[in-house]
Amino acid sequence: MIFEKRTERIFLAIFFLIALCIPLFLEDNSFFVGKATTILILAVFVMSLDFLVGRVGLVTLGHALFYGLGGYLFVILTPEYEAVNFWVYAVYILAISALIALVVGVVVLRTSGIYFIMITLAISQMAYYFFFDSLEFGGNDGLFIFMKPETSIFGLNFLNLDNPTHFYYLSLLAVLVTLLAIKITLRSRFGRIVEASRLNPERTEALGYNIFAFRLISYIIGSTLAAYAGLLFALQYGYVNPQFMTWEMSGTALVMSILGGMGTIYGAILGTITYEGLQYSFEHLSEDWMLLMGGAIILMVLLLRKGLAGYLEKLLEK
Amino acid sequence: MSTELIFVQLVNGIQYGLLLFLIASGLTLVFGVMGILNLAHGSMYMVGAYLVWYFVSITGSFTLSALLSAVIALGLGILIERVLIQRLYNRNHLDQVLLTIGMIFVFNSLQSILWGNDPYGVAVPDTLGGSVPFTDNSSYPIYRIFAALICIAIAAALYFVVSKTRLGMLIRAGESNREMVEALGVNIKSLYTIVFAIGVMLAAVSGIIAAPMRSIVPGMGESVLITCFVVVVIGGMGSIKGAFVGALLVGVISTFAAVLMPSMSNMIIYIFMILVLLVKPQGLFAK
Amino acid sequence: MSRIKTLAGAVLATTLTAGLSTTTVAAAGETVKVGLMLPFSGIYAQLGEAGRDGLKLALKEHAEQLHGTKIEYIELDTEAKPSRAPELASSLLNQHEADFVIGPVHSGVAMGMIKMLRGKDTIMIIPNAGSAAATGPLCSPNVFRTSFSSWQPSYPMGKVALEKGYKKVYAISWNYGMGRESLDAFAESFEAGGGEIVEKVLLPFPSTNFQSHVSDIADENPDAVFTFFAGGGAIKFVKDYDAMGLRGKIPLLGSGFLTEGTLQAQGEAAEGVMTGLHYAEQLDVPKNQAFREAFNTEYGHYPDIYAVQGYDAGQAIANTIGELNGDISDKKAVISTMEKLTIDSPRGEFTFSRAHNPIQNIYLREVKDGVNVVQSVAAAALEDPARGCKL
Repeated sequence: MIFEKRTERIFLAIFFLIALCIPLFLEDNSFFVGKATTILILAVFVMSLDFLVGRVGLVTLGHALFYGLGGYLFVILTPEYEAVNFWVYAVYILAISALIALVVGVVVLRTSGIYFIMITLAISQMAYYFFFDSLEFGGNDGLFIFMKPETSIFGLNFLNLDNPTHFYYLSLLAVLVTLLAIKITLRSRFGRIVEASRLNPERTEALGYNIFAFRLISYIIGSTLAAYAGLLFALQYGYVNPQFMTWEMSGTALVMSILGGMGTIYGAILGTITYEGLQYSFEHLSEDWMLLMGGAIILMVLLLRKGLAGYLEKLLEK
Repeated sequence: MSTELIFVQLVNGIQYGLLLFLIASGLTLVFGVMGILNLAHGSMYMVGAYLVWYFVSITGSFTLSALLSAVIALGLGILIERVLIQRLYNRNHLDQVLLTIGMIFVFNSLQSILWGNDPYGVAVPDTLGGSVPFTDNSSYPIYRIFAALICIAIAAALYFVVSKTRLGMLIRAGESNREMVEALGVNIKSLYTIVFAIGVMLAAVSGIIAAPMRSIVPGMGESVLITCFVVVVIGGMGSIKGAFVGALLVGVISTFAAVLMPSMSNMIIYIFMILVLLVKPQGLFAK
Repeated sequence: MSRIKTLAGAVLATTLTAGLSTTTVAAAGETVKVGLMLPFSGIYAQLGEAGRDGLKLALKEHAEQLHGTKIEYIELDTEAKPSRAPELASSLLNQHEADFVIGPVHSGVAMGMIKMLRGKDTIMIIPNAGSAAATGPLCSPNVFRTSFSSWQPSYPMGKVALEKGYKKVYAISWNYGMGRESLDAFAESFEAGGGEIVEKVLLPFPSTNFQSHVSDIADENPDAVFTFFAGGGAIKFVKDYDAMGLRGKIPLLGSGFLTEGTLQAQGEAAEGVMTGLHYAEQLDVPKNQAFREAFNTEYGHYPDIYAVQGYDAGQAIANTIGELNGDISDKKAVISTMEKLTIDSPRGEFTFSRAHNPIQNIYLREVKDGVNVVQSVAAAALEDPARGCKL
């Protein structure tokens, strides 16, 4: 069983049950289908960050670089007025993202701790300025994706991305695949060495493992997953903007994953839903929603020692 | 570029760098002693600027307002440390990051509630108004020279306190060995409170000094935060000397980049930082 | 104080409702839903609030035109973040089914909104963002603008510079849509008349480290400087320009936002700055005086340009509802009615161009004793060329 904890199994069962049913009660064009889709996409992004920060021990403030890249790569690679095949291009985009992550990773992984935070931040800010300043990529206005890709596999077409409910299920599938991919990675021999090198780098090194290589591969996995989330986010509304790769975006994701319970992976889903839910409620309540949001974050840090997942575990594990 | 213009830009760069040092010094001090990464440091800079603007609009006196604001900032620092930060000392560093992000939200919101969202400016105090002739076409404002001198004075004072006084000794000891400081019979809790409050006050004082030279607007805290981190990281986290050198380097480099290649000037400091970290992964003056 | 009360209420409401969606009070008779997508927090918050206040004042003043229809407002904070724009626009479109959407301030957000709202039944009225694309290549029957295109305030300034006898101009702005488009518009008329841009500098947005550029200007010694900056950047630039001793030596020209809502903060440093804009606070138009007093009575302070633009968005809605006798169910009729309106704006009357951008006067103003004093009409009934618009 790759889900070791009881809490985890209970939460995920309830989550997927509800998530599967949500569209049944809503119209296709309902705002809430769109909102729920965005939350799912963000959850993929936050899970990929949680993997890096909580499990591999790479605290990055530049993760949004790949989130933004996913969308921009799609705009750059595809012709403007022709529907391309989603799966084919997803593979291209993820391959290019992995390659970029490899190059970036070789540079940033030479540092650690706070210096790693800053160097990842620096690289994502540079990418942000590159797109912000470039006329050919729409500058600060960003770019539109005019044609949504089609999704046929071997001539079978069961998903229509123009239909919000279909898009929702595509995003839910992304959550499931990401969750399984991370969990299986962590359970493997590879994953155990990665975790060992977070907990005790010297000893892992002494056992003859090349920590750098293990971290690099993990960084590529996390970054590629983030790019997939970014691709979905860009396609949902057909729009990319350099702001998607700012450090604020990375920071928000970090907040979501710490809130959820660092390193628990399923906590990332919980954190994303909680953060987005709180923000939505506060915004509709008061113009000064930021004060409520800030207060809620501070309270949760003070009260919850290991995030929301930690709290749930205290209730449910015996 | 003529030699004259190079000289002018060098002066501009040093002046900017000195101000950057003042903002960054508090950040590096707090990190060095307490190991806390205070993302709300920029908010304290904002608080300083807004406070001095507010008091000047009431009292009309810049000096009085500056003193009042600095004292309030010190009090605010003590309060934040005692009520919030103290509870997180034996927690994960990321919890501290999350806490300080929550504080950014709160301070931005309070700024909007208390002072509104209009942009404000503080007039240069009369005694420091005027300027000295500089080149054929331009002059240099006395206030900016004064601001640079204040920054140098504070840098010197910090150096003196850290290297020559009992408090400084404790600070240096606290960086390397918490238990030893405790063993000396010093209450480490009070030491932390003092250091954090000084850090907050340094940020606020930078805001106060910068107020007459810049615009006081929502979001001004976040805009200095990242530059400030770049400075501290280039110098080596926790090193005051490093922050000083880092600030001057960033100040001068970004000033020249802004003129020579304006379209690249935002990237330049990041590129510089990455180069520094590739050669010295712990910054220039790593401990 | 009242805001603190609202806050307390909000906290209470959170605990009670655990935060569901907005509670909608069902109104008797027809209800027109007006969605606002403006920044109420962050750097642009003041612009968002001013636009909202102006809008609400207009709809309140024109209550008798509304034929008993009730106005329901839905206010969403964009935080000036483009990433949230499509989602919020979708909320107004699908969740609240707004008849009119007012927003935004920020042009990146405008793109996200237009993506959602283009070609839909909901009418979108832009009360600020000047991005050329919105009434250019992306123009749409249901998208209107009551503010300006970035081209409008800057284009006439080229002619002004030539008339003043300036031959060599140093142009400086931020490297983003509004900045680039402003400098290009200035250069278009200035170079056509034989002027020369000796240097064109585009700084990374939103950097306000201007001192080195001011030194560079002093070294270059042009006949004049043309610039677009707004808000905090405008304050900082004008102050640096003065502090380095250039005020009074090299004339400073700009797109009007350089001295809008910033004069108090700029103080004496702004004296003598000449700018072009579609409005001036002291504009001698009867409607302007009436508006300013009404606004002050309502909100306790005088309005700025952003309030005027919001006010005119409100007037556009009220006049349209009035002409249609309160029946706005036929969206084609709503669009064609709005297209033909003449808005009695505090800036002087204006009509909409084929691309739905105001055809309006641009005034040349000069700062004297802390006020933008109108010198002349730099361009009368100026229409944006709407390049790329197929309407």
